[in-house]
Amino acid sequence: MSFETLRALLQGWAGAGYLPGSLTYGFLVNALLAGLVIGPVLGGLGTLVVTKRLAFFSEAVGHAALTGVAIGILVGEPYTGPYGSLFAYCLLFALLVNFMRNRTGLTSDTLIGVFLSVSLALGASLLLILATRVNIHILENVLFGSVLTVDDRDLTILLVVALGVTALTLPLFNRLLLASFNPALATVRGVPVKAMDYLFILLVAVVTVASVKIIGAILVGALLVIPAAAARVVSTSLRGFFFLSIAFATLSAIAGILLPVELTLPVPSGGAIILASGLLFLGATLSRLALRRTNA
Amino acid sequence: MNGPAIAFEGVGLILGRTTVLEDLSLRIAAGSIHAVVGPNGGGKSSLVKSLLGQMPHRGTIRLDWRSDKPGVVAYVPQSLDFDSGLPMTVEDVLAILCQQRPAFLGPSRALVKQFDAALDRVGMADKRKRRFGALSGGERQRVLLAQALIPAPDLLILDEPMTALDEAGAQIFEELLLDLKDRGVTVLWVEHDLAQVRRLADRACGLNRHLLFDGPPAEVLAPERLLDLFATAPRRSLLKAAS
Repeated sequence: MSFETLRALLQGWAGAGYLPGSLTYGFLVNALLAGLVIGPVLGGLGTLVVTKRLAFFSEAVGHAALTGVAIGILVGEPYTGPYGSLFAYCLLFALLVNFMRNRTGLTSDTLIGVFLSVSLALGASLLLILATRVNIHILENVLFGSVLTVDDRDLTILLVVALGVTALTLPLFNRLLLASFNPALATVRGVPVKAMDYLFILLVAVVTVASVKIIGAILVGALLVIPAAAARVVSTSLRGFFFLSIAFATLSAIAGILLPVELTLPVPSGGAIILASGLLFLGATLSRLALRRTNA
Repeated sequence: MNGPAIAFEGVGLILGRTTVLEDLSLRIAAGSIHAVVGPNGGGKSSLVKSLLGQMPHRGTIRLDWRSDKPGVVAYVPQSLDFDSGLPMTVEDVLAILCQQRPAFLGPSRALVKQFDAALDRVGMADKRKRRFGALSGGERQRVLLAQALIPAPDLLILDEPMTALDEAGAQIFEELLLDLKDRGVTVLWVEHDLAQVRRLADRACGLNRHLLFDGPPAEVLAPERLLDLFATAPRRSLLKAAS
């Protein structure tokens, strides 16, 4: 089934009143499809990000996308989707951080802090140069996400990335976790620890870049962290942690895309998605506190 | 399959400017329980990490298996580096360690019985649904012992497994060790509890950067040897410096 057919089907259901009326607009159906594809992937991968204590890293890769966008536009890529530079810069950023982490003896947070600051400084400088060439406000869509700009090309990239990341992450889930728990034990169990470390940061970087259009460069890292953090607060097993994180991330994506349009709120999709996940986190924390008080 | 013999030949390890191991040669007999004792910072854990391929060392470390096909190597670390608040049950930990199927889907059918047997063996069968981070240090250590039994090992490397064990845990550990010995498993056992080493090990070696002694525990763990072993500087170094 092509995107066109799927879009027509959903628009038809919206027109018949089975779905929210705002889905009669094709652009919003595109955004919803993007959210439904990327939400579960970010939620699932987020459990590994939280478990491996890489929340700051995923945020940093998201922020690196800002510089990737600036470089892309500078070298002549379309400002609505400079994917070549985005992928290249974010992958380079992630690889460099991991490479230096193994060699400088610095703690991860210090090293990420250094790279993040330098990368942001570079991005901000390039954006100032770009301000004379393009309408800088157009970049807000890339920085904070926009439901208006997702097209079939973006959906195809999202789908390919989501399928690829899922196909790699699920069979390697245990190995990715074990590599961070105890490298010596992981080695005895046949896990190539360094390869797993590099693979994971590459997965995070690729997913981040693919999600930039819908969530925005600045906020994409948050959807890797907040739903998983909320799920961690209320779960008692790995099964609950994983599936609740997927549910929270997907729900946040759907709510963040549909609610601003349905309620005519002037909020970018990325902001709305992260606010929705923030509310879920608040709810999860309060329910845990209430449960503790009941048990006390 | 029975356990392998292990040969350390001229093994040296330098981290930064610190010599951790120097010209260490040692042979561990197949199917024996060989304890490694020594002071903190003497190089015991580094020796284990070198054996596991975790540290770039000089010299040769060789496993001599009795058949062409290598057997199963198991390792019990001192601890796991994880956030103790993680929603991860004992069963989840075993699933992460022992199976290919993603741990969030639960234990694979083929391994459920092995999980039951291993947890039962270490007295943790009734705690399989408990959160791993909420267990006591001794209970976590028992789970780490249980994971080493899946699949059944031919070579078992233990890095101070008794540190957190209570009396009941120590009893279970002792029974386990003797059972493994009966099955011909080679056990390399880093330990600080010399009384246990004296009772359970076939041989014991003392390590403080150098190999200071190696022999039957009753002979080598004599008070004079121990004084040498736990002195701030190994006596051999002092003698060398004096001459």
